[in-house]
Amino acid sequence: MTKTSALVARGVRLKRGSREILRGVDLHAETGELVALMGLSGSGKTTMLRVIAGLEPRDAGDVSAAKVGMVFQFHYLFEHLCAIDNVTLAPTQVLGVSMIDARRRALQLLDQLGVGHRAQALPRELSGGEAQRVAIARALAVDPPLLLLDEPTASLDPARRNDLGEALLQLAKSGRALVMTSHDDDFVRDFATRVVVLANGEVVEQGDPQRILSSPQHPATKELLQIERARKK
Amino acid sequence: MRTRLYLLVLLALAAAAPLGAQQILRWGGDAEGGAPFVEADPRDPSKLVGFDVEIAELIASKLGRTPQFLQVQFTSLDQSAKRGDFEIGLSGIEDIPARRQSLAASIPYYEFREVLTVRDGDRGRYRSLADLKGRRVATLGGTMAYDLLLDAERTHGITAVSYDDDVHPYSDLVLGRVDGVVLDNVLADRAMRRNTGLFTHPGALAVGHYIVITAPENTALRDQVDRILREAMKDGTLEAIFKKWNVWNEDQSELYARLVNAPSTPSTPGTLGTLGTPGTLGTLGTLGTPSTPGTGEKVRSYLPSLFRAALITLVLSFAAMALAVALGVLIATGRVYGDRFSRSLLTIYVEVMRGTPVLLQLFVIYYGLASMIRLPAFIAALLGLGLNYAAYESEIYRSALEAVPRGQLDAARILGFTRMQTLRLVRAPQAFRLALAPMTNDFVALLKDSSLVSMLTVVELTKQTQIFATNIGSWVIPGLLCALLYLAMSLPLGYLARRLEERWRMPTV
Repeated sequence: MTKTSALVARGVRLKRGSREILRGVDLHAETGELVALMGLSGSGKTTMLRVIAGLEPRDAGDVSAAKVGMVFQFHYLFEHLCAIDNVTLAPTQVLGVSMIDARRRALQLLDQLGVGHRAQALPRELSGGEAQRVAIARALAVDPPLLLLDEPTASLDPARRNDLGEALLQLAKSGRALVMTSHDDDFVRDFATRVVVLANGEVVEQGDPQRILSSPQHPATKELLQIERARKK
Repeated sequence: MRTRLYLLVLLALAAAAPLGAQQILRWGGDAEGGAPFVEADPRDPSKLVGFDVEIAELIASKLGRTPQFLQVQFTSLDQSAKRGDFEIGLSGIEDIPARRQSLAASIPYYEFREVLTVRDGDRGRYRSLADLKGRRVATLGGTMAYDLLLDAERTHGITAVSYDDDVHPYSDLVLGRVDGVVLDNVLADRAMRRNTGLFTHPGALAVGHYIVITAPENTALRDQVDRILREAMKDGTLEAIFKKWNVWNEDQSELYARLVNAPSTPSTPGTLGTLGTPGTLGTLGTLGTPSTPGTGEKVRSYLPSLFRAALITLVLSFAAMALAVALGVLIATGRVYGDRFSRSLLTIYVEVMRGTPVLLQLFVIYYGLASMIRLPAFIAALLGLGLNYAAYESEIYRSALEAVPRGQLDAARILGFTRMQTLRLVRAPQAFRLALAPMTNDFVALLKDSSLVSMLTVVELTKQTQIFATNIGSWVIPGLLCALLYLAMSLPLGYLARRLEERWRMPTV
C-alpha cells in the first residue's frame, strides 16, 4: 500500500479571548495510520480535531486535509431518524446517491461494524457502543479519506473497546487515515500506529506508542500516565 | 342628667340605623350606553346624567333613599339583578317575555319604536327589511331588535349582524360594512345626530317598552316602583324628564293613559300572549326558568344556531392557527438565522404582540384601520388572532430550534449539508416534535380566545350562548351546552397531541 498524506497541519494557532488553546501545532497523517492525540484535559486535543474538521476558525497556520469524517464523543446522531436513515441522509441529500444504493451501502457498513440488526432502531434506543458504531457508519457513508474520532473509547466497556480497536485498524488498512483523541493509554498502546502528546497547546512528544508510553520523556506525558494509572485502580 | 344622656344615645342610634344601612338605593345601569339613557356628564365625568339617571333618582327620593350607581355591562344587567348586585336596574332595558319570566319587572315607563336606518343614498332602494334581502343588517345584540332581525333572516333572507354596542352599527353603516341598522328610535335619533349621510324610515317595525328590573324575589320593591312610576305619569314628572332629554312624544301620553287607569301590573301584548294572567307575572319569575314548560322547546330551537356558532369557532380557530404557525415559523427562522436588522425588527414585533392585549389588537385591526382598509369582520378576526398567536408560536419554535444540540448541527456541517439543508432535514423536524406540546396548549387557548372576536360582530360559540341565555333568561343550560361544545373541540386535540408526543418522544439531553 502506498502511503499518501491525508492530513498536513502546520503551525496551527488558536486563541479564545486571551487564552491560547493551540500554540503552533504540527500534525500529519498518512493513509493506513491510526494516530492517537493524547493529553490532559485542556491540552487542546479536541480543539485540534475541530480545527481539522473546519468547525473552528484558526488564527494562524495551514491545514490541508482531505475530505473529513468525524465521530463525536457524544455521537450526535440525528435523534428523529432511525440508525439506517442517519447513515443514508448525507449520501442521498449531499452526494445524490439513489436511496436504494445508499441503503445497500449503509446496511453493509452497519453489518461490518456489528450493528446491522439495529438498523431500524432510533438513537435513543441504542446503547452507547451501538450509537458510536452507527455514528462511525454515518461518517464513513460519504467515504472520507480522513476519519476523526473524539474519545471513541469513552462510552465503551473493555470487551467492546477491543472490538472497536480492531474495527479502526481495519478501516486504516482499507486505505484511510484515522486521527483520534484518547486518554486511554492501554487502548493507544494496543491499537494506535503513532501517538502525539499535546500539553498546553503544543506537541511535546510523538512516535511509536509502545516506546513513548513505556518510557515517557516529557513531564506532561509522565503526569498523564500517572493520572490514567490512578484512575484505572 | 344621666337619663337624658341615655335618651340622647337611643335617639342617635335610631336615627343612625336608616342613615347607614337603609338609605342607599343601589341601582344598576351601563354608562357605556351613553346619552340620553346614562352617561358621564361631559362637564363633570364623575357625575352621571341621562333620563334613566333621573328616573332612578326619582324612585330613590320617593323611597327616601340615596341613589348609588353601579356600572354593569348592558348584556349582564339581568344576571346582575338576579345575583342581587343592585336593587333596581334601568338602562333602556327592554320589556321581553324572558325578562318577565326570570326577574321582577316594573310597568313600562317609555314606549319606543324599532326603526330602520339606511344610508341616505339608499333611502329609495331599502325601505323595509324585505328590500334588504341578501344584505347585512346590524343591531345591538341581546335586544328585541336582534330577535326581529333573526326572524327577518328566515322570512326575508337578510343577514343579521350583532354588535356589543349601539355606536358601531351606525358607523359601520356609514362605512358600508352593513346596509341597514334596526334599533329603537331613541338610539336611532342619537345616531342621526352623530353621523351624517344617514336616513331613518319613520315607520315602526315593532313597538317595545323600557322597564325597571329587580331581583325576582323582590316583588315588594317592584310594586313600590310601579306605584312611584304611576304617580310620576299622573303628575307629569316623567313627561318633564323625557321632554328635557328630547325624547317625549305622543306615544308616551297614550301609554301613560293606559297604564294609569289599569288596576294592576299590566303588560305589553307580547308578554300577555306568552304568559297567563297578568297578576301572576312576578311570582312566575321567582320559580326559575328551567322548569317552565317552554324551556325545552326553546333549547331545542337554539341547538342548530349553537352548533353553527361552534363551527364558526372551530373554523376561525383552525384558520387563525394555520396563519400563526406559518408566520411563527418565518419569524422564528428569521430570529435564529437572520441578520441583525431583521432580528431586531422581528423581536420588536414579537414583544409588541405579546405585550399588548389581543382585544386591543382586534379593535385596531377592525375599527382602527377602517378608514384605510375595510376588512370583513371574519377576516379581521382571523388576522387579529393569527397575528397575535404568531408571536407566541414563533417563541415556541425559536426555543425548539435552539434546543436541538449544536453537535448535531456540527455533524451535519461536516457531512456536507448546507445551512438550509441542515435546517430542513435535521433541525426543523426535531424542533417540530419539541414544539408540539406547547403548540397544542396554544391551540386550546386560541380556541377559547376566539370568543373575543364577538367584539367584531362575529357570532361565535360564546356570543351565541350569551344571546341564548339572554333570550331564555337563564345561563344554566346554555352555559352547560357551551362548555360541552368547547370540551368536545379541545379534548380530542389534547389526546392527539399526547399520542404524537409519545411516539416522537425526544431524549432529554
